[in-house]
Amino acid sequence: MRLLRVENGHYIFRLGKGERELLAVVLGLYPVIPPAHQPISKSTAIANKTNQHLLDEALAEQRSENKKLAASFLADARRFQETESSTRMTMAPAEIEWLLQVLNDIHVGSWILAGEPDEDSPGLIPSEKNARHIGAMELARWFQLDLLAALNQKP
Amino acid sequence: MANTAIPEVMPDLEREEKSKSQSEREPGYLVICWDDPVNLMDYVTHVFRTVFGWQKPKAEFHMLQVHKQGKSVLTRESLEKAEHYVHQLQKYSLHATMERDE
Repeated sequence: MRLLRVENGHYIFRLGKGERELLAVVLGLYPVIPPAHQPISKSTAIANKTNQHLLDEALAEQRSENKKLAASFLADARRFQETESSTRMTMAPAEIEWLLQVLNDIHVGSWILAGEPDEDSPGLIPSEKNARHIGAMELARWFQLDLLAALNQKP
Repeated sequence: MANTAIPEVMPDLEREEKSKSQSEREPGYLVICWDDPVNLMDYVTHVFRTVFGWQKPKAEFHMLQVHKQGKSVLTRESLEKAEHYVHQLQKYSLHATMERDE
């Protein structure tokens, strides 16, 4: 996936053959981070003082909404234009922001499911047990890098 | 944190810190971002810019602090504001918490 141009404030990307399907497969995994995975504080005293359950609820609600948005994102015929050899995908800046969030949930969540391996650790080498998670993590990461590169290229 | 970029400029953080009045500094909760081996450096910088409205050099400074020192104190706020920022950062799947400023 690469940025072709920014037109009227919208980003137009070229997706190579199969990339649209890969994006659909990756987004279909969302959400991946386990519920209530992120404590608001390392201190129990502070966690008790805050609204941890409200935070968990808000995150759960947001994930549920994002899942619906992901389905409508992929089904939006105006967003995707097929050519003979590629697909053109058009996104507003707010949609890129949203997609980055969703992809990072898949990226980080797949890393958690893969056993939270360190960089360059043997855990990052796909095995029968974690190949699915490592694959999802890498795919999400590549789409993220393309989106971040596009934002940095912005005229 | 997974490597993607190295910043060139350091922000003038000290001057900014001194300009805060005493009333702004109490009582306080620190919003902390912790290192992990998975989030991309460019992504973390992007999130800091989006959530806090920082310029790129300041966002990169804190991103590098997370990467090299294991954590970075991003801001010191009231309980409610600190909760808000932690929530925002966690929406982006960053490893962020709030801790009491002793």
